[in-house]
Amino acid sequence: MKEKKSPAPPEKTPRWAEGAYEKAGTGEGLSTTPHITPLFSFSRIGIIAGNTFMHLMRMKIFYFLLVFVLIWLGLNIFKLPHTAGPESVGAEELRLLKAPLVGTMKLFAIIIGIVATALLIPRDVEDRTLYTILAKPVPRLDYLLGKLFGVLLLILAGLFVMTLLLDAVLAYRTQIILSDFEQVGRVLVEQQQWSQKDFDGAKVELLSHGVTWSLQAAILVIFFEAAIIAALALLVSTFSTSTLFTVVISTLVYFIGNFIADGLDHFRSSSGIGEGTLNELAAKVLFAPFPDYRPFKISDEVIAGQIFPPDILGSLALSTGLYVGLYVVLSWFIFTRKEI
Amino acid sequence: MSDTPAVQVKSLVKDFRGAFGRGMIRAVNDVSFEIASGEVYGLIGPNGSGKSTTMKALLGLVTPTAGICSIFGRDSTKVDSRQEVGFLPENPYFYKHLSGEETIRFYGKLCGMKGAVLRERTLELLKLVGLEDARKRRLGGYSKGMLQRIGLAQALVQDPRLLILDEPTAGVDPIGSRQIRDLIFKLKDRGFTVFLCSHLLEQVQEVCDRVGIIHKGSLVREGRLDDLIAIEDQTEIVLRNATPELLKRIHALAANEEGVELVRSGNPRTTLERLFLRETIQRDSGKLNPVQAIWEQREGDSK
Repeated sequence: MKEKKSPAPPEKTPRWAEGAYEKAGTGEGLSTTPHITPLFSFSRIGIIAGNTFMHLMRMKIFYFLLVFVLIWLGLNIFKLPHTAGPESVGAEELRLLKAPLVGTMKLFAIIIGIVATALLIPRDVEDRTLYTILAKPVPRLDYLLGKLFGVLLLILAGLFVMTLLLDAVLAYRTQIILSDFEQVGRVLVEQQQWSQKDFDGAKVELLSHGVTWSLQAAILVIFFEAAIIAALALLVSTFSTSTLFTVVISTLVYFIGNFIADGLDHFRSSSGIGEGTLNELAAKVLFAPFPDYRPFKISDEVIAGQIFPPDILGSLALSTGLYVGLYVVLSWFIFTRKEI
Repeated sequence: MSDTPAVQVKSLVKDFRGAFGRGMIRAVNDVSFEIASGEVYGLIGPNGSGKSTTMKALLGLVTPTAGICSIFGRDSTKVDSRQEVGFLPENPYFYKHLSGEETIRFYGKLCGMKGAVLRERTLELLKLVGLEDARKRRLGGYSKGMLQRIGLAQALVQDPRLLILDEPTAGVDPIGSRQIRDLIFKLKDRGFTVFLCSHLLEQVQEVCDRVGIIHKGSLVREGRLDDLIAIEDQTEIVLRNATPELLKRIHALAANEEGVELVRSGNPRTTLERLFLRETIQRDSGKLNPVQAIWEQREGDSK
């Protein structure tokens, strides 16, 4: 019978193979201390989040910034028509500059929140990358949180870069418009067509459309919205078998979330039921899994020139935390039982 | 030698739900086996026989319907058991955006490694699998054989005691396949426990100490390879430079012996794979490479 013979070792054996694992078969030189893997580890979540961020970056997602720049250039070339009177023409111009740019930022955040998250888990399963990750001492919660935080990091970085551009453009335009406004305004005051009070009021309105803390807070609220939708997409992707299904369901839930409060108001007024009744409670329970986005519409009002009430930011952050937490726990519950 | 087996699968049953939750499909049916520390074990069977499901149950990727799987005495449904395991799935793709070096570093970090230790380990593993020159290239540009080798490197990154390989040479050309098999030999020499699933029987025969044959979810045969494949009532004698006269005398001796039958005589054949390796490698380099040299030496020793 042919006898098998193992090959001679290579010329230079790697150190790690010469050490403990020379004795692996005998059990010598190996730690017998039982490893205890914590339920979740910040460093491991950070590693997965960093890898997810880099993965999405190398998918050239930041080309979206080009769209942002193109819109800005377009707004400079083609001036949008406005119908404001002379007292608020400057403010109107700034609002028309700001609204499409902030709209693009919101679009970026929502699209990335849904699509990037929906893409990650099904692709890892399809490529069998998930097997190699979960075959390492990686708890499934770490994997989910890492993926979610990677997407959120990308959205945050994207919004940060776009906010810098927006602020720079807005500050520059505000300066030019303010200088024109002051020249024209002073003439109007001198000609007594405007009182000093009118002039000051119009100036305050103009400046409220420039770079303000309210605008920065409104952009942060856009991030909150995106975080909720990303967590929701993560939940859907734990039981969905395709990216398309996750994208469609998450988008649908996002739209429902935008109209849920109005829908409940309509339900109340059309059925004539009062607050606190059993029917109203049933309707609330029915719509409970859908995030209510109405409080987040404050960002649209800030773009229209309103001042962001600082006390709302805390409650919106808390609300975001609760929704994200709820969706992550549900995702974890499903994903732990998932047969991969 | 440690008494705790590297792998213990006891009465494993795995059922999957049918389409739309109707009915149950039994993928693995009451499978039990053990792999001793330092052993190379091959689980063979046709497609859909339950090999991969058994592996996944061992790695905690699927939950057993019944039975127990453990790795070095630790319940394999617990994350801790994976400290000791390296896994290479069938046709792995990994993250295409990462380079070979970044891939190993990523998996090393997942196992809690960092700093100079990880850097050193990464370079050593790249050398071990012969991908030092391609370490900066993104995996999107790797061939299947290179992906399998980087897969082996990531499986080894945390110095596991057990290596689980699912069809490690699937889709790889004969040269790449030979290189991977040679790596398994190296690991075997260094005392690693290897659990290998394959339907390439020649490969399993070459590297495994023990095998199990799984069919329709049940383990139908299991034992030492040499015992399983030996034909008990036959004896093989291989001669070099035998003259026709000597062969005639041997034939005559066998014919005169009562109850003895000469079943076959002639020139032993090499395999098509060995012929292919010899022809392609020799044509390319004009000399034998180390892998082939090892093989030639082994062939010579067995003659």
